[in-house]
Amino acid sequence: MEVVPGTQFLLARVDDVARWAQASSVWPLTMGLACCAIEMMSVTAPEYDIARLGSEVFRSSPRQADLMIVSGRVAQKMGPVIKRLYDQMADPKWVISMGACASSGGVFDNYAVVQGVDTIVPVDVYVPGCPPTPDGLLYAVNLIQQQIRQGGRGGILARA
Amino acid sequence: MPSPQTPPRGGSAVDPTAVRPDIDDAVIIRVEPAQLRGRLEQLKAEGASMLLDIGGVDYLERTPRFDVVYHLLKLPTRVASVDSVATPMRIRVLCGLDDGQTLPTMSDLWPSADWPEREIYDLFGITFDGHPDLRRIQMPVDWEGYPLRKDYPLRGPALERTPRPDFALKSNLLAGTPASGKTAAALAKQIAKIRGQAE
Repeated sequence: MEVVPGTQFLLARVDDVARWAQASSVWPLTMGLACCAIEMMSVTAPEYDIARLGSEVFRSSPRQADLMIVSGRVAQKMGPVIKRLYDQMADPKWVISMGACASSGGVFDNYAVVQGVDTIVPVDVYVPGCPPTPDGLLYAVNLIQQQIRQGGRGGILARA
Repeated sequence: MPSPQTPPRGGSAVDPTAVRPDIDDAVIIRVEPAQLRGRLEQLKAEGASMLLDIGGVDYLERTPRFDVVYHLLKLPTRVASVDSVATPMRIRVLCGLDDGQTLPTMSDLWPSADWPEREIYDLFGITFDGHPDLRRIQMPVDWEGYPLRKDYPLRGPALERTPRPDFALKSNLLAGTPASGKTAAALAKQIAKIRGQAE
């Protein structure tokens, strides 16, 4: 993006502008799975205020959502539901795996829990923690925004 | 290969009801499967109007292997005194049975037996004859095995962690190389470039 010298015009590639718009309004899907969802809810509250990143609009329909925050352990029975919701989201779409359980099964190393949601949907950012702090989730959204601006994908660990 | 998390077969299987002291407000009765229905009908007729819960226990080494426990509550039908209000009577009916044996359903006596019986069927594989809708209730419908049995491997039939898919298989619109690590630096560079040109 550059300013044309001596004028009030900006020159930019359409791609860059589109990515800037995408990155500035990443709408998450309203989906809370477990205790991590409590931290996810608190990022919408005034203290952390995810509205600063343009992501305050949690959509209840996957058709309108850009970002899936997998906030908690995924039971084997919930797995197909998550996959279906992901498939229903329109491209382009991003996935944050929030917390130890969503990323690896966490302490639930057993028959009932999916050992990492990346066995079901492609994950863009992993947030460690049990649960991660709201700051951690905000940082993950930041990383998603950076990915969108750059056009890169995949497998980032949100490590401070 | 057996799961390393399979509980040891030589473990002691003590029936806790044999060593537990009497509880003040609960009567513990053990009945045979053949007598179960008649006994519970009788208890209901005597005023045990609530079936609070049904539990299942797997003692694995014991014969009979399983216990099904019915928790009944008898509330005073008429307030005779303050004492009778304060002491509702609890009745615990234990019924031992082996793998392959079945129990009669109680869902027609107490509707609250419906889901607990499904749960016991789901997790222990104990069948209740005459149940109107004996399907799995917690596990997925196509699940194999009964997870709360003591000889069920903790990690499930697969025994190993599910392998991770390759990140290169991502099928999203903006597929590309992972931006990990380079992201922040590239962003800073981009910002510096824009600012430098604006000045």
